[in-house]
Amino acid sequence: MTGWLGAVTSTDHKRIGLTLGVCSLFYFLLGGVFALLMRTQLAQSNMQFVSDNSYNELFTMHGSTMIYLFVTPMAIAMAIYLVPLQIGATRLSAPRLCLAGMWTWLCGGLVMQQGWFASGGAGRTGWSSYAPLSNGTNTPGVGQDLWVVGVILAAAGMLVMAACVVATVARRRAPGMSLLRMPVFTWTALVSMLMVVGAFPMLVVVMVLLYIDRHGGHIFTGFEGAIDYQDLFWFFGHPVVYVMFFPYLGAAAEAIAVNAHKRWFGYIAFVASIMAFAALSMAVWSHHMYVTGGVTNQYFAFTSTALLVPAGIEYFDMIGTLIGGSIVLRTSMLFALAFFLQFLIGGLSGIFVASPVLDYQAYGTYIIVAHFHYTLFAGSIFGFFAGVYHWFPKITGAVLRERLGKLQLLVMVVGTNMTFFPMFFLGNDGMPRRVSRYPTHPGWGTLNEIETIGAGVIALGVLTFLINVFVSLRRRVPAGDDPWLGHTLEWATTSPPPPLNFEAPLPPIRSYAPLLDLREAEMDRARRPAEVPAS
Amino acid sequence: MRGGAIPILAWGTILLVLAVGNWVWNDRVVGSGAASAAVLIIYGFGVAVWLARRREALRRGPPEPRTEPESVPQASLAAVGIGVSAGCALFGLAWAKFLLDFGIALFIVSVGRLVLELRAERASRRAARGESERA
Repeated sequence: MTGWLGAVTSTDHKRIGLTLGVCSLFYFLLGGVFALLMRTQLAQSNMQFVSDNSYNELFTMHGSTMIYLFVTPMAIAMAIYLVPLQIGATRLSAPRLCLAGMWTWLCGGLVMQQGWFASGGAGRTGWSSYAPLSNGTNTPGVGQDLWVVGVILAAAGMLVMAACVVATVARRRAPGMSLLRMPVFTWTALVSMLMVVGAFPMLVVVMVLLYIDRHGGHIFTGFEGAIDYQDLFWFFGHPVVYVMFFPYLGAAAEAIAVNAHKRWFGYIAFVASIMAFAALSMAVWSHHMYVTGGVTNQYFAFTSTALLVPAGIEYFDMIGTLIGGSIVLRTSMLFALAFFLQFLIGGLSGIFVASPVLDYQAYGTYIIVAHFHYTLFAGSIFGFFAGVYHWFPKITGAVLRERLGKLQLLVMVVGTNMTFFPMFFLGNDGMPRRVSRYPTHPGWGTLNEIETIGAGVIALGVLTFLINVFVSLRRRVPAGDDPWLGHTLEWATTSPPPPLNFEAPLPPIRSYAPLLDLREAEMDRARRPAEVPAS
Repeated sequence: MRGGAIPILAWGTILLVLAVGNWVWNDRVVGSGAASAAVLIIYGFGVAVWLARRREALRRGPPEPRTEPESVPQASLAAVGIGVSAGCALFGLAWAKFLLDFGIALFIVSVGRLVLELRAERASRRAARGESERA
């Protein structure tokens, strides 16, 4: 098959990853438009820009689009594209299954967005759609049904794609590529995909149950029903936070190691830390439910606080890599550093809300909104852009413009902190989240205006990125196979890679940075005194 | 102890330590039945993996080079059909009812197409193996 049909039916992992990534990016722009509409409504107290019902739809669809249709699938897209290349595989395991998963996910996104055309509007009960708020009595209408069905499809598609990545790592590593020689990004992707396989079935199950409940099933009834729904939902909902974090952490780590011209520091500790992170993250879900009175708060406070240990190891490794490195401040490096610095704000605020007594105060306020936007936007999205600037030459064969990239970084850092930092003050002052209008209150108007301007600045940053992509693809600056002196196997092939990934034989794999090994061996040979032939 | 048992046993230990730590802190066992069952299941799985370490599937060290010829699918209309049919069927379930029938029909056709694709793939693999044996 050739032409467009060949493109959409291709089982090449690079084509699947790219299609998934581009579609996710489209949903990112859509979710961004929803956010701008919400921020416009909140610019001043008692605004009438959108109705209360429309505002409910906007925040629901913003959260759902970003989580189910952008950040998580983009992480999977990066894994599908890069993992086979990094482990020296010629292809993905079960590529047909992966392609079917991609189309299921894509249909899920489209079904979810169809709700906008339904009478009564799109889903409007938040991205977590707590029962009984989301049952058929309290939220009737096709739009909410389409939201539920869309989530089922998207989650099932992502589950299938993640399983293909796990199978690829298990079965298709190149000779020499033992588990502890896999690159840092591959490890983060593997752990993420394992968490998808472990947690996403729960989302599918809870959404099927919710659908039955909405159509007369009476599953989530009474206090126990509400607690059961939240338990089931958050068993998926918390691990997904780390699914949305790890691959971007891996991308930032690769960018830092390559731009510091140094091996990633503390590799074994890093691998152990993300495994501990993953294990712990399956045991913290009820910290979202402290205020319900239906969970054992001390246990979940304990496990949630314990997450600090692996997180600390990752920061320690990042600093260890930078120390003594020959650092080049390319755009990818700057985005990676911004990722670590801004995620720190999200992580540190996480310590506060991991404590039940402080969470009682913060629950349902803008402190929570600030906290998770610092982890997901100021963190993951900056890691994503670090990855884009790092791997764009490999994917397209052209380099993104550095000046435009640095301008984008500057604009986005300013916009992000203008938008999300004032939320801490608003939340501390008691401003509730998920309200379309707020009373005139000293300081609230000004802080909300700053946030709205900040959201516009973020949009400018994203626009700068799109212009950069357009210009760089239109007036191509050829990248060559290895423009950054990369460490891992994807830089040993052509840019973009051929259909079966590698035409030349792979270099020997003796560590998690095989190309760096080669360069160091060459430098050692060059340093050795020339052998004088015996007379 | 190799073959993947270490991380599984470590995971069980982490949960056990957390449960015991919480007991000491809180003076109350947290869901003792559920916590014990979880730890026992994880430990049991870890021990099973450890005992099965000599099996070929749980290999030690890096993978061996592949020698068998394998067919690589370039495109699959069936996979796209299966994905789209799932979308159509569920969309039909929630709203446009006619799409439910269309989705089911498309699913059946796609599975048929998948069977054809897999048979063609098996035939090409057999042919390649025959050629390599003749050579």
